[in-house]
Amino acid sequence: MSKKVGVYIYTGDGIAEALDIDKLVEVATGLGIEIVRTHPDLYSPEGAAMVKQDIDNEGVDGVVLAGISPRYEFKILNFPGVMVEKTSLREMVTWSHPVSADDENAEAKKEHVQELAEDYIRMAVIKAKKSNPVEPFKAEEINQRLLVIGGGVTGLTAALEAAEAGYESILVEREPELGGWATKNRKQVPVGPDYSELIDPIVQGLIDRVNASDKITVKTSTEVARVGNAPGDFRVSFKNAGTKSEWDAPFPLTEKEKLDESGNELSAEDQKKKYDEKNEGRRGYMEEDPNAEICGAVILASGWKPYVPEEGEFPHLAWGNPNVITNCQFEEIAKNGKIVRPSDGKEVKSVAFVQSAGGSKDDADFPYASVVTSLVALKQAKYLREDQPEDGKAYVLYEHMRTSGQYEYFYQGLQNDPGIFLTKGDVTEVKDNGSGGLTVNVDNTLIGGDISLDVDLAVLATGMVPTTRDDAVVNMAYRQGPGFRDLDLFGGYCDSNFICFPYETRRTGIYAAGAVHRAMTMEEAMEDAAGATLKALQCLKAIDEGHSVHPRTWDFDYPDFYFQRCTQCKRCTEECPFGALDDDEKGTPKLNPSRCRRCGTCMGACPERIINFKDYSIDIVGSMIKAIEVPDDDEDKLRLLIFACENDAYPALDMAARKGLSWSPLGRIIPVRCLGSVNVAWIKDAMSSGIDGALLLGCKFGDDYQCHFVKGSELSERRMQNVAESLASLGIEAERVKMAQVAIDEYDQIPEIINGFMDEIVELGPNPFKGF
Amino acid sequence: MAERNQVQPDLEFVKGVMEAGGDTVNRCYQCATCSIVCPLSTDESPFPRKEMLWAQWGLGSKVSGDADVWLCHNCGDCTKYCPRDARPGDVLSAIRINAIRHYAQPKALANIMNSAGGVIGTVITSMFAVLVVAFLWSLYSKEAFPIPEGTVVYHKFLTVVPIDALFLSIAAFVIYVSMKGVIQFWSDISKGAGLPVSFTGKAPTPAIGPFLIKYVWPATKEILTHERFKKCGEVAERSTGHLWVLWSFIILFIVTIIVMIQADVLGILFPDAGFETPLVQYHPVKIAANIGAIMLIVGIWMLRNMRIRKTAEGTITSSTQDWILIWLIFAVGVSGLAAEIIRLADVAYLAYPVYVLHLGCVATLFLSLPYTKFAHLLYRGTAYVHERWARDVKAGKAGFGLEKMVTAWQYEGKDIH
Repeated sequence: MSKKVGVYIYTGDGIAEALDIDKLVEVATGLGIEIVRTHPDLYSPEGAAMVKQDIDNEGVDGVVLAGISPRYEFKILNFPGVMVEKTSLREMVTWSHPVSADDENAEAKKEHVQELAEDYIRMAVIKAKKSNPVEPFKAEEINQRLLVIGGGVTGLTAALEAAEAGYESILVEREPELGGWATKNRKQVPVGPDYSELIDPIVQGLIDRVNASDKITVKTSTEVARVGNAPGDFRVSFKNAGTKSEWDAPFPLTEKEKLDESGNELSAEDQKKKYDEKNEGRRGYMEEDPNAEICGAVILASGWKPYVPEEGEFPHLAWGNPNVITNCQFEEIAKNGKIVRPSDGKEVKSVAFVQSAGGSKDDADFPYASVVTSLVALKQAKYLREDQPEDGKAYVLYEHMRTSGQYEYFYQGLQNDPGIFLTKGDVTEVKDNGSGGLTVNVDNTLIGGDISLDVDLAVLATGMVPTTRDDAVVNMAYRQGPGFRDLDLFGGYCDSNFICFPYETRRTGIYAAGAVHRAMTMEEAMEDAAGATLKALQCLKAIDEGHSVHPRTWDFDYPDFYFQRCTQCKRCTEECPFGALDDDEKGTPKLNPSRCRRCGTCMGACPERIINFKDYSIDIVGSMIKAIEVPDDDEDKLRLLIFACENDAYPALDMAARKGLSWSPLGRIIPVRCLGSVNVAWIKDAMSSGIDGALLLGCKFGDDYQCHFVKGSELSERRMQNVAESLASLGIEAERVKMAQVAIDEYDQIPEIINGFMDEIVELGPNPFKGF
Repeated sequence: MAERNQVQPDLEFVKGVMEAGGDTVNRCYQCATCSIVCPLSTDESPFPRKEMLWAQWGLGSKVSGDADVWLCHNCGDCTKYCPRDARPGDVLSAIRINAIRHYAQPKALANIMNSAGGVIGTVITSMFAVLVVAFLWSLYSKEAFPIPEGTVVYHKFLTVVPIDALFLSIAAFVIYVSMKGVIQFWSDISKGAGLPVSFTGKAPTPAIGPFLIKYVWPATKEILTHERFKKCGEVAERSTGHLWVLWSFIILFIVTIIVMIQADVLGILFPDAGFETPLVQYHPVKIAANIGAIMLIVGIWMLRNMRIRKTAEGTITSSTQDWILIWLIFAVGVSGLAAEIIRLADVAYLAYPVYVLHLGCVATLFLSLPYTKFAHLLYRGTAYVHERWARDVKAGKAGFGLEKMVTAWQYEGKDIH
């Protein structure tokens, strides 16, 4: 709680011309603020000196800067130990609500704009008064060692990158030898200029460097049974590969498993029983393994496994014929010597590399096909030409030839070989030609029409399946389960989906790299490994300093639980998008602040309102809502409350204002950490204050979600539907609460969204609770 | 089900194209920029995109059945705009060179005629043959050998009868070889265009009357005016030079025929009527001959300059075959003009050797017709005629019930892109 708040009003950038500054000062004074100052150049060293003087001489410990949008950072206006609240008079008031002097309603309009500015002062003052100083979470000891899961090219590179940065790591490999799939190649796709030719496998060089490093502990034939606790202090239990362990991470019940046969939810006891059955022989997820190794962060580089078609799959491609093989099987044959036909051991003279499985139906490729399958087909075509330089013929039959970026040079280089024949076309049929080989029929070729080829061997470009598709691999002993939650969305790849956040997973301190991330070449995997390693080290640094990781990297605050009033409803533990919350037997949540991303989704979820941040709480925002002056009897002065997500919606508002776009002056905007943090209590507060409508502006959700906290806007949508229903039971129209999705680049739609909703509210008329 | 084409790439064919100047063929990735920028390519059968892939895939029979290769005048637009530097213009040139060799018989002669040494050897051999004939003739004419006495008069050295004996036999051979090649070419491109085949397996041909009037004459007109060649924007100058050379050949051909009739037929029948050569300088035929000679030299020099410049610019690539033809034609023109000037100057010891050189060059040029790049005269001319004929057959306008197509390469219901 700030004891003494000072209010500083910026009068530059046209603010003084558009607003009655004296009245603003009066409003602040009326709130009991003794120190209210204006400055035409508040964000300059002189302005900062003025504020500093008050802090030093007057004992000001809360500062309200009313002027430029809080999204602009002025480092000279950061004062240690002082709560600084910034409210935007420029973007949110004057720029976005210009009143032309020759407007016939200029006076009335000016009045609206003035009231808007006054409300923002009131809201900022109450926030500054109620905010508490933030104390960063400091873990006792932060382990600086990395756990790297997977000893292939990605894992080896990650461990080496960490070592070069001065960090130790444990490198775990399931197989008896390091190297992974990269050791099984005859040759490989280039990892650097000039990209035009195959190169010898590079993996042995990485293995040698890892073995020579004193910072890397290698554990082969080993798997991770569980990773418990939190980043900076992960407790890692290992086990022999392929064995079971009591420390295997337990799996929670799926939504389906929580139901009985008739579809009703099982009782808590029955669920517990079912859970115990499911995880028989496994220790509880909160139990600590005394023999666990401690690591600070995890790189998940467990890579891929080949897609092996099932029996009877791809019947038109004669899968099952011994001479129809996958690209991985072809690699194995090539690694062992000259390429021979599996059916009779005859030297192979011609190969059809079938890239797509769609046949005559469509141009679909094989599942998990990618840039890599295209490059591998070219690479393997070259193997045949190496074995049979005189008369070897390699046909690459594709629907899509993907050779992105520099790999275009690889394509060019391979294309120069006169024995490699490429064409787009639909491979409609592969069949035995009766003389030991195969006939391949290709329709709609670039050559013109439908052709037929006689070959010794057909190679199917089946892709790389991420190991995370069928297996949790990282095996977190977390409340929400041992795997990543959104694998279904990405076909088993543990990708973060937000293009801005590569390497991130939905588990803080655990970073994905390499083929588990997406199908990629070794060059890309090595780059990916370096990136993920740096993210992991960054995470350790963040935990050390006590602030959040991406995207609220600067945020030292973290949620605080008032456990006395917790009803163990488990909403927070289940809804946390990052699995930061564990719980005990009874269901009381346990926060792991270093896993937390500070989105506030738990705060929005809590029906008891016991989860709060120091400068962002149910009470603070509720008080800001109540600070809005709502005229009782003026139908022209309806009030609209707008919760705007700080990540995309608020910047979009800023941009709209900067671009000179305008919207209704009746709206009052409150920036929120994430729409997931909006508690329904605030909606009720707004309605009981007589505010006529509440609009939530948040990120897009769904399969292509843009929410920085993955699920916030989606959860919010659901919660608002529920609250609207309960409002309706009180006689308040459900339409008064609305959620709108806005992307950061859709600032041009802001006026339409706000004004459109305002029109709907005008249509409904004033809030029936107004004046009570 | 439509008949499937069994594809069996011929690696030797690919290598052949690469060696003949199309070494960039494999760079093509089928974007079809070339077919779009080509000023001559048609919507019905665009080129050279498809030819690039056929060549990559070593589909020799498909390429040889493709008349479009001959509709290209190698302006170099495709090469200039190709994003992969696959140089389609060069590849088509290489394909044409290989096609000429494909149709040429005997192959041994084709090999000789396609190397600079072979051509020089042929010139020397021809000169030797001329000397032998002249020696034999001198035994009959009682003139001194190798330098006849008195003012320089070439028919003292060799009269029309022995020259005809030599050249008409070369001509007969060349015509035989050329016709054989052209007939095979006609049959191949008819098949390639999907024209119907008779029960005997032969490609259809029109009756001689309509053939000449409806097809040969319009094609000839187009060739004589260079209407199509002029559309090749990049090389307007080239079409001018080429036009000069073509017309000079026509003039020289006519002049030669007139002289042959006068000297060989009338001169022998009426020895004293004044038909003997040389003609006086103001004789209209002589004037035409001199104009033809100068046009030939100027035209071929223009072509030479253009080729040097365009090669330096990178628009086209020049192969040995290109230079052989240019220098051979140049040698024919210059040696012919020199022989005339030296004759007028009456320098006997220079005149007769130059005359022999000229005859050697002419004989070599004659002989090279079906074997070297010179054969483009045959195949491009044939392609021009065939294009018109095929269009009529496909439109059902050719008569004799050929409206229904028998498809060989183009399959029913599938477009060739």
